[in-house]
Amino acid sequence: MSPRLLPALTLAALVLGWEALVRLAHIPAYTLPAPSLVAQTLWQNFPSLASSWWFTLKITFGALALACAGGVAIAAVFALSRRIELAFFPVAVLLQVTPIVAIAPLILIYVESTTAALLLCAWIVAFFPILSNTVLGLRAADPNLRDLFHLYGATPWQRLRLLLMPSALPYFLAGLKISGGLSLIGAVTAEMVAGAAGRETGLASRILEASFRTETPKMFAALALLVATGVLIFWTFNALSRRLLGPWHASERL
Amino acid sequence: MVALRIATLAVLATCLVSAAHAQDKVTFATNWKAEAAHGGFYQAVADGTYKKYGLDVTILPGGPQVNNRPLLPAGRIDFLMTGNLLHSFDNVKNGVPTIVVAAMFQKDPQALIAHPGQGYEKFEALRNAPVAFIAKDGQFTWWQWLKVTHGFRDEVLRPYNYNLGPFLANPKAIQQGYSIAEPIYVEDQGKFKPVVHLLADHGFSTYSTLIEARAETIKTKPDLVQRFVDASILGWVHYLYGSRQVANALMIRQNPEMTEAEIEASVALMKSQGIVDSGEALASGIGAMSADRIKDFYGQMVKAGLYKDGEVDLSKVATLQFINKRVGMDVKAQLGGK
Amino acid sequence: MSAGAGHITLQQVEKRFAEGLLALRDVSLRVGEGEFVALLGPSGCGKSTVLRLVAGLDTPTHGTVDAPALRGGGTSTAFVFQEPTLMPWANLFDNVWLPLRLAGVSRAQADESVRTMLGSVGLGDFEQAYPAELSGGMKMRASIARALVTQPRVLLMDEPFAALDEITRSRLNADLLAWWTLRRLSVLFVTHSVYEAVFLSQRVLVMSPRPGRVMAEVVVDQPYPRDPAFRTSAAYVSACREVSDSLEAAMSGTRP
Repeated sequence: MSPRLLPALTLAALVLGWEALVRLAHIPAYTLPAPSLVAQTLWQNFPSLASSWWFTLKITFGALALACAGGVAIAAVFALSRRIELAFFPVAVLLQVTPIVAIAPLILIYVESTTAALLLCAWIVAFFPILSNTVLGLRAADPNLRDLFHLYGATPWQRLRLLLMPSALPYFLAGLKISGGLSLIGAVTAEMVAGAAGRETGLASRILEASFRTETPKMFAALALLVATGVLIFWTFNALSRRLLGPWHASERL
Repeated sequence: MVALRIATLAVLATCLVSAAHAQDKVTFATNWKAEAAHGGFYQAVADGTYKKYGLDVTILPGGPQVNNRPLLPAGRIDFLMTGNLLHSFDNVKNGVPTIVVAAMFQKDPQALIAHPGQGYEKFEALRNAPVAFIAKDGQFTWWQWLKVTHGFRDEVLRPYNYNLGPFLANPKAIQQGYSIAEPIYVEDQGKFKPVVHLLADHGFSTYSTLIEARAETIKTKPDLVQRFVDASILGWVHYLYGSRQVANALMIRQNPEMTEAEIEASVALMKSQGIVDSGEALASGIGAMSADRIKDFYGQMVKAGLYKDGEVDLSKVATLQFINKRVGMDVKAQLGGK
Repeated sequence: MSAGAGHITLQQVEKRFAEGLLALRDVSLRVGEGEFVALLGPSGCGKSTVLRLVAGLDTPTHGTVDAPALRGGGTSTAFVFQEPTLMPWANLFDNVWLPLRLAGVSRAQADESVRTMLGSVGLGDFEQAYPAELSGGMKMRASIARALVTQPRVLLMDEPFAALDEITRSRLNADLLAWWTLRRLSVLFVTHSVYEAVFLSQRVLVMSPRPGRVMAEVVVDQPYPRDPAFRTSAAYVSACREVSDSLEAAMSGTRP
């Protein structure tokens, strides 16, 4: 059986099982809607759900981009100076372990723009794996290669571009895969705390709204879009990793 | 011989009597931690009124992150307290088979509060506040009405986590609250009397502190429902006009952060603002409802865009069969209730 | 010995590392222009440290080191490590291009040199291949190609064939001599194999255990080119015996 077919069939079987369960046990729609009803609700509400979906995507990928920029920049500084790293790493760890659900309300209250607050929350959740992995990667350059570069009189810029960055790439990509999912989680958590606040609202806010209005099928429809986003992120970064590391890195040669 | 027969009869009689007085186990979930706004129910538990009506009632309190609403259609509880008719409209719209059987508050105490001397003395000024702290439940219900009917905007909305801190720290901020509760806490912690604007005074005409039951319960055990409603009404009469001591003590045990002074201040506000016993209740007893008022409120919500015309079958929202019977009015007179 | 641009001189060099370890004590040696010299000794005797000093990757604690790398020649010195040390993310062309690239030569300008070099080490068809796709022997050839592409005056080799199998090793020995004969650069070849040292070099310097110093020098008087038959000749056998004896003496602390 083709490797693509098996997961698709399993998923289809689960969905059919769900539909059967709801019909046979007469489970009311407000408790557990059938997949057919969820699909129908999604179709009917697509215009309004789509704009919320777009907002969540903007926050997720915006935060991820900022996490990459911030994570890589700070990693470069840490890689250059052990002292700075020792001094500031605890701050990074603190940010990582503080549950975002606890500090999001404070951030939402004290940051002027709701969008900026949401980006900040998602960024906090997403940047640490990129930071720690990239620091590792920048340090992981082969010492013999380092000597070779020194021998041939490489400039610091040449060393960074031709040795350190390629050495760090597999580590960075590993961090990116993790952070992709985390930025979605961060965005959703922050949106759940924010609720209806702000000019635009994302999918998580729509989920909350549907839950408060007892519109369970709509809640599931929004949830389905969130799950689709998570899967999309997972596939995208896997493909990226395969493309960049495919020819040469152990992780992709299996 | 005779002695044996008498003894048998005595045993039988005792059994029958016990059967007649057998307590129905009932769970009633509220929408917050124990507070004065729930006083009547705790009264009926504490002073034995529920017991007298053959009910063994357990009150299941709500709280900041607790949502008891799904428990009723799921069959986990028997009766549910809700804050306004919007929840009932949503239930009927989505096919949830629950019905309102009584309305303990004739006025919804939902209010917006502000710092004094910041220009918020008039209700119209509130919409220009730079920051409004509104909790999740309100964000998706009456806040939507405020947006359409009174021009409030989502941009100023911030999440309210039932912590007065951010409001107290920012003189230009406004926040939600119950008119009979938050102002008391603000005065305690912030040492000032806030400006209070009752939503009910500006068109939000819903009943509040409603009792909901499953349609199935009403059909199969109407007597049980009637007893619960009647006992609850009596509880409220005793709470407002009689001695509140045992009820207050019970509430403080369940919610140790509450103080006697806060409860009493709240009761005074309930009376002065006519939250419980006003309007229709003065004529028909506490818990009173009318189909006209429900229809009128629904019409307002349709105008505010929360519902479409005819989307909700209003006959399924509430039933009047258990109230409007002047229950408790004689007791109120006896207690000199005013 | 001639004193041309490719000569190497160490005079009474001492190297003590920061942790207090004394790696080299009073090391003196010379490699003349175009000479092939082997440096032989037991593990840990400091032979790799000598190479690093000559390459300018480290500095001596006492004594002097004179070598092209220290005389300001950017691409004058090449180094071949025991591991091929290729950049795994780049194909062979880019790997061999690297030293030229670092010196500012563009890809187009370097094209001919790189291709020729890959051809001369027998990897002409593998320009686009990545290191992960190659065998150990092929990777080592690529490493040598990279070393030779800048036409260095000095080639430093640190046990380059130690990790390879017997057959590949002897084939690479022969190839190395061929490439060296063509270019006549100075080679300092570190090994702990007596047989390899004698087959390849004109002189074998024998070092003592740590702290290392040069204990003996054995001249291998055999003209080039040296073919496989050399390995079974009397001259070879006697030279090997002489080197082995010197090594044993060095290890037991006595001079031969």
